[in-house]
Amino acid sequence: MTETSAATAGTSAELLLDAVSKSYGDNLAVRSISAEVPASKISVIVGPSGCGKSTLLRIISGLDNPTSGQVRFEGDPVDGVPEGLAMVFQDYSRSLYPWMRVDKNVEFPIKHLPAKERAERVRFAIEEVGLTHKEKLYPWQMSGGMQQRVAIARALASHPKLLLMDEPYASVDAQTRADLEDLLMRIQAELGITVLVVTHDIDESVYLADRIIVLSSPPSVVAEVIDVDLPRPRDHIATKTDQRFVEIRSHVTRLLRSKEPAATA
Amino acid sequence: MKLLHEPLSGRSQAVLGIVGTVGAAAVWEGVIRSGLLDVPGLPLPSGVIAGVADLVPDGTFWDQVLFTLGEWMLGLVIATVAGVLVGGLMGAFSSVFLALEWPVEAFRVLPSVAVGPILVLLIGQGMLPLSLTVALSCVWPILLNTMYGVRATDTTAVMTAKTFGNGELAVLRKVKIPSALPFAFTGVRIAASIGLLVAVSAELLIGGGNGIGGYILENSANATNLDLVYAATLVAGLLGVLVNLVMAKLDDVVFGWKKGLAQ
Repeated sequence: MTETSAATAGTSAELLLDAVSKSYGDNLAVRSISAEVPASKISVIVGPSGCGKSTLLRIISGLDNPTSGQVRFEGDPVDGVPEGLAMVFQDYSRSLYPWMRVDKNVEFPIKHLPAKERAERVRFAIEEVGLTHKEKLYPWQMSGGMQQRVAIARALASHPKLLLMDEPYASVDAQTRADLEDLLMRIQAELGITVLVVTHDIDESVYLADRIIVLSSPPSVVAEVIDVDLPRPRDHIATKTDQRFVEIRSHVTRLLRSKEPAATA
Repeated sequence: MKLLHEPLSGRSQAVLGIVGTVGAAAVWEGVIRSGLLDVPGLPLPSGVIAGVADLVPDGTFWDQVLFTLGEWMLGLVIATVAGVLVGGLMGAFSSVFLALEWPVEAFRVLPSVAVGPILVLLIGQGMLPLSLTVALSCVWPILLNTMYGVRATDTTAVMTAKTFGNGELAVLRKVKIPSALPFAFTGVRIAASIGLLVAVSAELLIGGGNGIGGYILENSANATNLDLVYAATLVAGLLGVLVNLVMAKLDDVVFGWKKGLAQ
């Protein structure tokens, strides 16, 4: 698996958005979005609230159809939820199943596997997110940050090639958020997963991303694609005081502040 | 700080409950003994308790109690399986809902006990027609609660399952039904009490002398046995209370995770 992703990383995008539009009746939510999400990197879609970020993520995950345009995952058009995809939602308390303990929640996507492999994957995923010994708790007995770790572990257990995250840290406090951002980067580096995060937080987008896809206000188009060359591993103090970080951050802020949707399409 | 209504301790609650029950029985006893109410056949609480004491060593009576319990449980199980299955499908798929909405509304208002004699005609005497009568009255609260429970499943919970590659039927089985089960169980609790009432009523009608109802019917033919009849009725009532207690406990143990349902 790592061989193929290494081979294709340089040549083709893991995920390709080709002029994706979505309208609800007369209301155009996203207007002709084209972008490439490179394999084994972290890409972040950032945009003002209400710019259709979540709509876009639903289309990418195959939960919703675009009105026009196409999404390609590993070269194949997305029609329904593709194999090898996992999604982490903002609302961990609604996304986790309250009748299952932590280990059963993590096991949820891999019930079809033999028991031995299941147990191994669950153990590994729970260890990756630092929740060993919490397996027998119910999610609602844990803090918000811990619940989101469970949701991430559950995604990892499915061995995703593409991990989608919809405002994953918007409901946790700042300290927890910083910890979870570092957790995500560490896991991504270890496992080489392709990650696509949607956020409205500019700081977060620059801190996490290899590539930022900036959306305009609705009806949204891609305002700019920015490749972030900040060195890894990144760090909340060193990286965020880096001159490049400050420049990119200001640039993205200016893009999002400009009232008119960008003319690029 | 003192709350306006501080909850009473469990012990004072129990004491008050006992005082109320014993008090009501004592007033009733007084009313009859004083001749204030003079209707033949009215039970004296002391006589009924003596009747229960007579029933306790009576093996044939307990056989009838067991018969009623078995009949009731079989009916409740049939109703639960059918109610959860059909209610689940109706909640999950609007086509199933539209197809079954009218039949459900029509059958729901049928007095199940009146169906009993027809069932006997069709399948003969025995426990099965009684259980089916019980099931027919029990299935509705279970079906409706399951249906609304399935509909109330959180959309994020459903989307999560779909992103892990689960189709509609798998989502129903793995997410919607489990998350609807506490609702369904509330239906089962309501149905359990109804079922016991219907079980005894159906026995009076088509029991062929079986069950608590059959016992009451046979003994009420003899006016000297009235205390025994009232005692059997009282036992049926106590059975209902017991069933409710067990169900409440089961609800706590099995569906404790309800506390975690997203607000």
